[in-house]
Amino acid sequence: MRRTIPLLIVMVGGIMMMIQFFIPHQISQAVFGLYTDYVPVIAGFALILGVGSLTRVHYHKVRRRAENWQYSLLVIFFLYLMPVFGIILPASLGGQAEEPSVFHFLYRWVQIPIQSSMFSLLAFYIASAAFRAFRARSAMATVLMLAAVIVMMGQVPIGDYLGKWFPALGLWILRHPNLGGKRAIQLGVGFGILATNLKIIFGVERNWLGGAGR
Amino acid sequence: MAENNSIWDKLFNMDRRWIFLLMAVVVIIPFFFKMGLPINTTDEVEGIYNYVDSLEQNDAVMIGFDYQPGTMAENQPMSEAVMRHCFARKVPVFITAVLPLGNGLAEEAIANLTDPDEPGTFQRVRYREWHSYDYGQDSLPSRVTHDQLVNLWERDHQLREDAMGWVFEGVDYVILGYAPLFHIVLLGMGRSIVSQYPADLYGNPTENMPMVKRNKSAREVDLGVTVAGSSAVLWWLTYAHESYGMPIAFGVTAVMATDYLVYLQSGQIVGQMGGLRGAAEYEVMLKRDGYSIEEGKAFRGMDVQSIAHILIVILIVVGNVAYFAGGYHRKGRRLRAGR
Repeated sequence: MRRTIPLLIVMVGGIMMMIQFFIPHQISQAVFGLYTDYVPVIAGFALILGVGSLTRVHYHKVRRRAENWQYSLLVIFFLYLMPVFGIILPASLGGQAEEPSVFHFLYRWVQIPIQSSMFSLLAFYIASAAFRAFRARSAMATVLMLAAVIVMMGQVPIGDYLGKWFPALGLWILRHPNLGGKRAIQLGVGFGILATNLKIIFGVERNWLGGAGR
Repeated sequence: MAENNSIWDKLFNMDRRWIFLLMAVVVIIPFFFKMGLPINTTDEVEGIYNYVDSLEQNDAVMIGFDYQPGTMAENQPMSEAVMRHCFARKVPVFITAVLPLGNGLAEEAIANLTDPDEPGTFQRVRYREWHSYDYGQDSLPSRVTHDQLVNLWERDHQLREDAMGWVFEGVDYVILGYAPLFHIVLLGMGRSIVSQYPADLYGNPTENMPMVKRNKSAREVDLGVTVAGSSAVLWWLTYAHESYGMPIAFGVTAVMATDYLVYLQSGQIVGQMGGLRGAAEYEVMLKRDGYSIEEGKAFRGMDVQSIAHILIVILIVVGNVAYFAGGYHRKGRRLRAGR
């Protein structure tokens, strides 16, 4: 039963949604409407599961004093602090209604700078990686390096100054050789997704069931 | 293998901390010396700009803040540029978010575009403020348009001298915000926007908002612009464009731009802004047509990017000169592990 019922739900739901997509009948639309209303509600429960799971993992790390357990403590602290300021105590730092709330303060002046700083580190690592990786070791590596240099210079206004052909050639590389390669990959991925979906719907692929699928 | 201390060896095995230092210097300097290098526009960005420019106040645009603060340096100028264009054209803007953090970024974009301390911004009127206002003998039409509301509002209110115009929440924009499983929400909005978002981010009922009354479902929205730092753009394509035909435009980070050009060539999207360059191009066109008094953050950021790209190209050249001059190509010598 642990295996059959989930398989049946997926099969019936999957086939029903496939048929529904191609039949613009009133009943079909009503089923679809019901589906789009219910699914976000069900997704809300996934949030509870996620928060519970995250809390459990980090709680155990703190309890066992695992390596870097202090970070886990911070994760738990801020995981629960933000909803407290967002939902229970939506007050401002100065207590005035027109001032931004503490939640907004933490978001604007803690979360945004932290995330932006993390992403901005990319510029430094890309510079270092480009220096080490783009070497003319072979014919293919030389082509890759030249393409990278042309596209890089074509993307910035100073490329126009160095030569009008920089942006034109950069765009040509993006619009033609790049496009051909990307399209081939994406078609492959698309067919792969279609095949996997059909396998899941018809119960051939059962890994998603976890232990019960064996 | 014996260490050789020639200049080529030193260059070839340059400590990466020198590279970090050089990069830090070149990204900081342009902030003090404005270069203002001119930017040429491309078909990809012109496609979006011209599309938005053809819309009127009876049309509508939906903008997805589908990114997190990590990519806001690239994505936020795109969102702000498109929103500025819509506000200037009086085209109503529905704002959604794939991620919870998108809510705050949307609020920030609105705050920047309506900052009273900045010239050339818009003057914002919150929904509760204009909706509960006493207009005397005149009743407020339930599907009031921007121009009708301006006529009523300006009887008792004065537009800021340096402002570009009024922006009314619920008429010119609404922050619908984040909703879980956004691809399902996109499908649901094809039926009815209110069914997916009964209230906006601030708890105002959307069913009373004039722009929602005039555009009951996403099928009536004339353009969806997803500004994203993830593959969420494909949800818009699959569930909004392919399901009910909403025209879509992408605003993506530079590293993602190459992935999605295929959809532009196939005609599935009307245009694409790729990275800071895409946003800068949009800002250039906004200024050219008088929708802004100066270019924004993306245009200024392109100076930094120009210098940074030149540094990277110089590093590649130096690395290759050292590779050949140091004889690494013959001897099969390897560079030391990165430090």
